[in-house]
Amino acid sequence: MDHRPFEDWLSNEEPLTPQQKRDLTAHLQTCRSCSSLAEVDLAFRSVRQAEPAREFVNRFQVRLAARKQALRRRNALGFLVLAVSVVGLLAGLAWPFIKTAVASPVDTLAAWLSSLVNLWASFQALIHAGLVLFRVAPGFVPAYIWAVLLFGLTGWSLVWVLSLMKYTRIPQGA
Amino acid sequence: MTDEMVWILQAQQGDDDAFTLLVEAYQKPVYNLCYRMLGEPEAAEDAAQDTFLKAYQNLTRYDRERSFATWLLSIAAHHCIDKLRRRRFVSFSIDEDEEGQTEIPDRFAPDPETEAAKKQERERLHGLLQALEPVDRAAVVMRYWYDASEVEIAQTLKLTVPAVKSRLHRARRALAALWEKEMPRIRAERKPYGSPAF
Repeated sequence: MDHRPFEDWLSNEEPLTPQQKRDLTAHLQTCRSCSSLAEVDLAFRSVRQAEPAREFVNRFQVRLAARKQALRRRNALGFLVLAVSVVGLLAGLAWPFIKTAVASPVDTLAAWLSSLVNLWASFQALIHAGLVLFRVAPGFVPAYIWAVLLFGLTGWSLVWVLSLMKYTRIPQGA
Repeated sequence: MTDEMVWILQAQQGDDDAFTLLVEAYQKPVYNLCYRMLGEPEAAEDAAQDTFLKAYQNLTRYDRERSFATWLLSIAAHHCIDKLRRRRFVSFSIDEDEEGQTEIPDRFAPDPETEAAKKQERERLHGLLQALEPVDRAAVVMRYWYDASEVEIAQTLKLTVPAVKSRLHRARRALAALWEKEMPRIRAERKPYGSPAF
């Protein structure tokens, strides 16, 4: 038996023509399969919505508060673990220097002072060289190269800022 | 601008009271979907609560061009489908009614026998629903309890419209087959002419 138009009529929401109604009624009286389809359809449509137990909203508020507290605890614990790890790592890396400094403090202090003086001299030389280059370079490099560099730098900064904004967005409740 | 949109905007700016108003407005449809999907009041309560928590956490991602109800029901449906896939088998107790209370027919109702029969039929229908595959079940629930169109169901379940049509057709046929098998007595009492087709 061909059920096709009858199944479609039963599932469609559009009202049927009088002739279609007559045909469908006749078909349902003889076809057990389509009759079941119509019955189950009607039965499901007549079932009301299930309701949650009372105070659902209050229970949600309690859960939300608990979730926020758990999140805060997790963040605090994460920060603590990170801080301890960083301090531990720095202490591990600095341990040979600390040991030497404790063994011969005067020599270590002299070495550190000497390093600082060298560092300062190098920094000054670098600044001086940079200033000379800054004065001389514009004469050698054409203007359009500067424009391209400036444009590229702006674009790169923009992409960087937008990426930071996109990936560091903190979800609500976090 | 509707009240709902105002609440959404306020909630997106971190106003918890505004989100509570949304929970109040949607608790019934979300719970109903979870209950029809999972079959147990306790599991439905948990799933509905989780749905609202997920919605709260992802509210900034909600696209205001879409219907909020569809977005919320989509979260609920996917949450329930995941739960069902994880546990695979659903045990449904027919000793409990839709509010999680043990069923006692109301002796003071106008016709206790009719009330009890209706209750029994609702439970049987609920049992039939549990026989469907999770995604088919979600499509059927959306269709019958929310009058959702095929397009809306497709959006909610992230399916194509032809896939929804096919799933609904398959699910309705499966339900009809089960109905035919399990409800010969009710069949005798019921006339099929109350279908929307008439």
